[in-house]
Amino acid sequence: MPAIVKTQPFLRSFVAPAALCAFGFLAAMAAVLQYSVRSFIPGSLEPGGFTLENFVALMKPLYARVFIDTVWICFLTAFFTLVVGYPLAYALVRVQNKIAKSFILIIVVTPLFLGEVVRTYSWIIVLGNNGFINTVLLKLGVIAQPIQFMFTKFGVVIALVHVTMPVMVVMLAAALSHIDRNYQRAAESLGAGPIRAFMTVTLPLSMPGIIAGVTTAFAWTFSAFATPQLIGGGRVNMISNLVYQLGFASFDFPFAASLCVSGLALTLVILSLIRLAVRPLEKIGPH
Amino acid sequence: MKRFLLALFALAIAVPAQAQDKLVVSIWGGSWRDLVADTVAKKFTQETGVAVDFITGGTIDRLNKAKLAKDNPESDITFTTSHVGWLYVGSGLFEKLDMSKIPNAKNLVDEARFSPYHLGSWAYVYTIGYRPDLTKDISFSTWNDLWNPALKGKIAAPDFDPSHLIVVSAILSGGDAEHWQKGEEKLKALKPNFKAFYTDDANSQQLLASGETPVQDVLSMNAYYMIGQGVPITVTIPKEGGVLGVDSVSIMSGSKKTDLAYKFINALYDPGVQAAIAKQKKGSPVVLDAKLDPDIAKLPGVFTSAAQWKQQIIIDPKLRAEKLPEWRKWFAENIMN
Repeated sequence: MPAIVKTQPFLRSFVAPAALCAFGFLAAMAAVLQYSVRSFIPGSLEPGGFTLENFVALMKPLYARVFIDTVWICFLTAFFTLVVGYPLAYALVRVQNKIAKSFILIIVVTPLFLGEVVRTYSWIIVLGNNGFINTVLLKLGVIAQPIQFMFTKFGVVIALVHVTMPVMVVMLAAALSHIDRNYQRAAESLGAGPIRAFMTVTLPLSMPGIIAGVTTAFAWTFSAFATPQLIGGGRVNMISNLVYQLGFASFDFPFAASLCVSGLALTLVILSLIRLAVRPLEKIGPH
Repeated sequence: MKRFLLALFALAIAVPAQAQDKLVVSIWGGSWRDLVADTVAKKFTQETGVAVDFITGGTIDRLNKAKLAKDNPESDITFTTSHVGWLYVGSGLFEKLDMSKIPNAKNLVDEARFSPYHLGSWAYVYTIGYRPDLTKDISFSTWNDLWNPALKGKIAAPDFDPSHLIVVSAILSGGDAEHWQKGEEKLKALKPNFKAFYTDDANSQQLLASGETPVQDVLSMNAYYMIGQGVPITVTIPKEGGVLGVDSVSIMSGSKKTDLAYKFINALYDPGVQAAIAKQKKGSPVVLDAKLDPDIAKLPGVFTSAAQWKQQIIIDPKLRAEKLPEWRKWFAENIMN
């Protein structure tokens, strides 16, 4: 038991609810792990004996492709969310006009007030062959045939960027607000233009926020379900969709559990790799 | 103050007592709940004076909850699909039915008598639904027409249940549900024509209404709903028949209100109630003595005679429950991905 809890016993009452939650999560995780090594009995809800066949079945190229697609979609989503989110976060922190600040805040936060399914259905209306984008482009004569956004990785990434953006902007804004503006002023007083001052001072100093935002966006997207399910229309599948398709829709809970465990392991590996890759960058930042 | 507290106490014990008097029905949400509330539940309450409460959820959620609450069920009655009903039966979650307590079931069609534990409640078909305004001169008289190369990238099918197309392909290749492998190559040849796979009823409706997938292996009731909303859809039954689907009704094992539950099921098979269900949802009654409006009776997927039932493609629900995981996996590995 930590020393601080011994000296201040009231802290135990704070720790207890968290410990209870942690116990619940661990129990659920143990159940998933247990199911992943049990055999499936067709026509029965009860799993059979212990086996590693579920993991052996995952060795097929199909599953490797879905795992790779998932990582690729997560990477693209994290990257484009950063590209779109950074200017918004920058404007949110630096704009002085209160109305403009409120407007940006509303743009950023509004998606959080809509459920993922509602947001995704909105994107179906925008991205469909008869949707907003194609209708405008067709009427302007820019295209002769509708562009296929729906049921493509591109369409899925667009919708996922929208879902992930609020989290990214909030993290970047927090990092940017901690940067002392005098650093940028000092660079400008030494002759650096606004772009150079941004590239050599603000951007490197906001690196901790970028790393936190990208890592969170990546992990957040990894568990996406409704968006790839509806925009992907069964043609673009991520791991969670595969869990649903192969596990729950056919009541093969052991196989679904083995997919979950493998997905979790892959997430941990990738996040560890990201952590290793960005370790040198973490040293940059406000001191 | 004392009186107020006494009144509060009386209210506290009265409310649960009232709740206990209700019959609890487990069913999907949305229009399915409304269908039962407007027809069966209404008739049941008129006859018994007992109100009906609903607990709603997806097929799998409700199955899992029922399994966890075994012997102390949340609901007295459960509606589910016939093949999922076999999973309930296999787990001992349904009460064995005493048919003498359901006199209205005397006219129940054979296809709705699944087991001693679950019976059919209403029927529909999965068949071909299409947008004639978007498919122009393409016609559909047989399931083989789905393989028309002109339909490349135009078809959608459910992602949650591939059994219709798997069995259809098997039949077109000289097999049947049990020997479904005979249709594997045939179904693989259909792959270029698929554009998407829909997740649920709403997704199916959206894809047809927007024209994204102008041809679908569609639930007849969904197609009729959209036609009612003004979407130009034609529902056709291929010469081989539509793939019959029958939802089921059962009494939960451990229910404390089995007498009321029997009365509820008997109300379900009342000819007037069955006609009302057919009218509201454009589904088929499961009793042969229901008097349907001529406009409803002529709809594809609504059956009024024993002969019409026999003309459909019927997948044995028990076989379907056992095969579905295998079919689902094969479909995901070979067609969807």
